[in-house]
Amino acid sequence: MEKADVRERVKSVVAKVLKMDINQVANDANFIFDLGADSMQSLELVAGFEEEFGIEMDEDKALRIQTVEDAVQFIAGYLN
Amino acid sequence: MKIRQLSRSEIDLLRINGCSADDWSQVAITEPVIPERYRNVRFSGTVTISKQDGTIEIDKSIVRPCGIYDSFVKDCQIGENVFISSVKNLVNQRIGNNVVIENVAELVNEGETTFGNGTEVEALNEGGGRTILIFDCLTSQLAYLLANYRNDIKFIKVLEQIIRDYIRTKKSTVGIVETGVRIRHCQIIRNVCFRQYSITIGAAFLQEGTIQGCSADPAIIGEGVVAKHFIILSGSHVDDGAILDRCFVGQGVKIGKQYSAENSVFFANCEAFHGEACSVFAGPYTVTHHKSTLLIAGMFSFFNAGSGTNQSNHMYKLGPLHQGILERGSKTGSFSYLLWPSKIGAYSVVTGKHFSNIDAGDFPFSYITEENGKSLLTPAMNLFTVGTRRDTDKWPKRDRRKDPNTLDLIRFDLLSPFIVEKVLTGIDVLTKLGESAQRTQEVINYKGLQIKRLLIKSCARYYEMALKIALSEEVVHRLERLPANTMLNEIQKSLTFDDKVKNESWRDISGMIATNSSIQKFMDEIRAGKISTVNSTLEHLKAIHQEYEKTAGDWFLCKLEQRLGIEISQILPGQLIQIISDWKENRLKLNNMILKDAEKEFDFNSQIGYGLDGDTETRQLDFESVRGTFDNNTFVCDLKQESESVVVRAEKLFAKLNEL
Repeated sequence: MEKADVRERVKSVVAKVLKMDINQVANDANFIFDLGADSMQSLELVAGFEEEFGIEMDEDKALRIQTVEDAVQFIAGYLN
Repeated sequence: MKIRQLSRSEIDLLRINGCSADDWSQVAITEPVIPERYRNVRFSGTVTISKQDGTIEIDKSIVRPCGIYDSFVKDCQIGENVFISSVKNLVNQRIGNNVVIENVAELVNEGETTFGNGTEVEALNEGGGRTILIFDCLTSQLAYLLANYRNDIKFIKVLEQIIRDYIRTKKSTVGIVETGVRIRHCQIIRNVCFRQYSITIGAAFLQEGTIQGCSADPAIIGEGVVAKHFIILSGSHVDDGAILDRCFVGQGVKIGKQYSAENSVFFANCEAFHGEACSVFAGPYTVTHHKSTLLIAGMFSFFNAGSGTNQSNHMYKLGPLHQGILERGSKTGSFSYLLWPSKIGAYSVVTGKHFSNIDAGDFPFSYITEENGKSLLTPAMNLFTVGTRRDTDKWPKRDRRKDPNTLDLIRFDLLSPFIVEKVLTGIDVLTKLGESAQRTQEVINYKGLQIKRLLIKSCARYYEMALKIALSEEVVHRLERLPANTMLNEIQKSLTFDDKVKNESWRDISGMIATNSSIQKFMDEIRAGKISTVNSTLEHLKAIHQEYEKTAGDWFLCKLEQRLGIEISQILPGQLIQIISDWKENRLKLNNMILKDAEKEFDFNSQIGYGLDGDTETRQLDFESVRGTFDNNTFVCDLKQESESVVVRAEKLFAKLNEL
């Protein structure tokens, strides 16, 4: 899957979970500091990515994902 | 020592010292009689006094000659070398040796009393029906059974009779002040038993109670305390204007700073300041420190109440008859509110206000939060928070009890079989909820709570992590105990377990983790009259407590066998290596998640308000000087060290198994 495609789908999940407009989700946005996610929403984001891409992310590593770009890199790497 | 009446010349000398008596023939004394040890004393009724020829330390570096001074003494037996001074009414007391009673308005005993033993405390349900008979060796386990097993009418009836038989032995028409007791600067004390070495300084009003103590761990009652119908056990401090009415205070408890409590029981190492308790069953380590915190009609243990925590038990219908359960290790956030009846699973955190009756008992380690007026449940979330880990480490270190006879039986294990059994249930329930949910659903409703559908799988996975750690840890422990060069058949033998545990279920009996069958057997024996005294009741419970490690270990192995679908007594080295590998991986994963959570305490957001008048660098430096750094934090260092040790332990076992 192309990174650009992964990025769009990641942003779509972020917008849905954090209940915001997808246009507000910047590529380099930090989930907590920029988008206001709390710790539970961070977990929800990971779960959302898992469902969207049909993958299972390692709990420990998943918690290190802090930005949209982190998620894109991780998921693209996983899928490839 | 011969006790005798005073001689004429001794009476004359006492009179010269300002003493008088209703009838001098009723005053008996042990030799040597030293008249100057009695000044301005009015003797009334029958008074016997042991020798007063020594000195006594009444406070640090204040040593006074023993004797009786400036007091009214009526119908008292007074032990050796006491210091009794400025007691307006000392009536009907049996006073032991080396006692200090100084500046007390009234220390009297009226009629027959059991000194608070047998007081009926309506704990847990304010409307009644869960009455706990309190007495001076009540344990959290007995109280739990008395309060919660009301369905078994015969058991309760027999157990209460055993307790009443014990309470009868406490009946007295004389007040008791035992050896080494200090009672100073108090106002009114009526029908109170002061056991050995207890200290009471500045109490305002004490009535119908027992203050237990021992030389190793005296109970201490401090200034302004008002207590009626109470039992206070060794090592406890009740002070600073606390008000207790119909309360039991167990060992090592601290109550003060104007805390008020009625119809409540507090067990080992509880702390209660500022707030209010009404019909509370405060199991071991229940802590409430803040003003405006009301605990009402609830049962707690290993609990921490945030400021302004509140619950409603009165729905203005049939009265204040609702109750709530917060299982061990739970916390409530500031100004959280719970509507009773509700049940919160072990090690959970409740924040926000919850206006539905919620039952989260199947989900330990949950976050229960409020979102748009609804109660949101996130199971397993609190498993990997730094708070849960820190609490678990700190409780055993904070056991204040020094009395050689510790009463409450306490297990501290985080992943005990009681919790693991709940984790198993939690996984089952989550799996079923996940399977039945539609992908379009945002939330799933469950027993008054909402669970985010997206999180169901993740939460179940977190529970799985805890499960793998708990079950495989027993294998690790057993293998580590084996000597080097142990043969495979010996290893297999060491992993066998008693088949009886197969169908066991576990209970948290207010601190004691026990199998359902052991509790049922205990209850059968009570019902059948095979256990018939308080002492044997306590001994039986201790025996159950001591069975824990063996039974818990066997149960873990049994569950592991069931989950792996193998016969563990026939296990092969490769399978053992896989189990240890899983244990290592999950222990490290969990520790890393906890470390990640701890890291948040040091991130940029946590530095808000630091370095007030400076730039970013000032902020960072100010934060580090006050809070330290993540890498230097003791908790963080310990956890990292623990992870390193997990790796070393696993490698050692791999080496051992690879040699087979």
